[in-house]
Amino acid sequence: MDIETLHLGPFKIKNKIAIRLFSALDDRLGVKEIVDDEVFEKIVPAHLGFWSCFGGISFFLFISQALTGMLLMVYYQPTIEDAHATVAMIMNEVPFGWLVRGSHSWGSNLMLVTIMIHMVKIYVSGIYKPPRELNWVVGITLLLLTMGLSFTGYLLPWTQLAYWATVVGTETPAALPYVGEYIRYIMRGGEEIGQVTLTRFFAIHVMLLPVITASVIGLHLVQIRRQGIAGPM
Amino acid sequence: MAEQTEYSKKKECEVKALPMEEKKRLVREGKAHWFFPGHIIEQIVLCGFVVLILITLSTVFPAHLGEKADPFDTPAHIKPEWYFLAAYYSLRLAEYTDFLGAWAPKIMGIVAQQVAVTILILVPFIDQNVNERRPGKRPIAMALGFLAALTVIVFTILGHLV
Repeated sequence: MDIETLHLGPFKIKNKIAIRLFSALDDRLGVKEIVDDEVFEKIVPAHLGFWSCFGGISFFLFISQALTGMLLMVYYQPTIEDAHATVAMIMNEVPFGWLVRGSHSWGSNLMLVTIMIHMVKIYVSGIYKPPRELNWVVGITLLLLTMGLSFTGYLLPWTQLAYWATVVGTETPAALPYVGEYIRYIMRGGEEIGQVTLTRFFAIHVMLLPVITASVIGLHLVQIRRQGIAGPM
Repeated sequence: MAEQTEYSKKKECEVKALPMEEKKRLVREGKAHWFFPGHIIEQIVLCGFVVLILITLSTVFPAHLGEKADPFDTPAHIKPEWYFLAAYYSLRLAEYTDFLGAWAPKIMGIVAQQVAVTILILVPFIDQNVNERRPGKRPIAMALGFLAALTVIVFTILGHLV
């Protein structure tokens, strides 16, 4: 691109260095086309309305959970001796720790609420119908992943309620024939709930499920990008 | 000239390929909005609201930290979080299937949950009414959806009460 002015949607860029940098990226990656297609020349259906925003809010809450979760990990220790004490320290001593943990705890509850509202909206408006069947399936997967994140995260402060809710929760699949006790053993990392369980839940909560969830969210969004936002009925 | 497909029925790749003039016309006629800046600003404002809600909730109702876990002290009432209450109650409800045999109470609840999730996943393939999206014209889908939602809500409340 050898031009005086770079036109990017409503922006007219005259700065020579900015134009050189952008041109270099454009020559190598075709950035202009992507930016125009996906941002400046993109149109979305008008009148999307209040009920259409809950998918986006759920996505934002996931990002918020990831950020507050990373901050919590700075102080939290996943051991049965220290877990409870470090969460108490986050609440009482760490600057704004109460806010970070509060946002993480409320965020998990809100995220389930917004996902459920999003789901009801998609159902009532028949948006799951062709060509979007596959994205409904991906969406339900995301609901289940979010419940998995909630279930594993709930144990981490190592409180009475969390401990015993997990005892009951991991006991449930044990009733299944043949595989039941094996599932319970895998979930608990042994016969009893203890350090191995906490370590396991911690790993699943901060690494395994977030990575899987982020990837599946990517799949959800790519499909929306390819299919467009569903217009009015 | 062949009849143009309505904007709302177009595929995204077709929308993307529309000439700029056509896009401007759709926006002028109020059928579409520009993604930038209108839609983006909307999203950012919404995110701001969510942050405000999180801060307000955390301030007014601080996150609770219960007493430390004690494996030797079983509390009187063990309850899951609200989003698992419906599943929890379905397990309790399954205890009434003991007339089928001793195996039933524990397994029926799990099986029922698996069936419910499977049906939920398969909704787009079960619903063969593929072209009608207006809720008013889909009485069966609406009735079944309402029934399912009602069941979840009632189970959640009962799960809280038992």
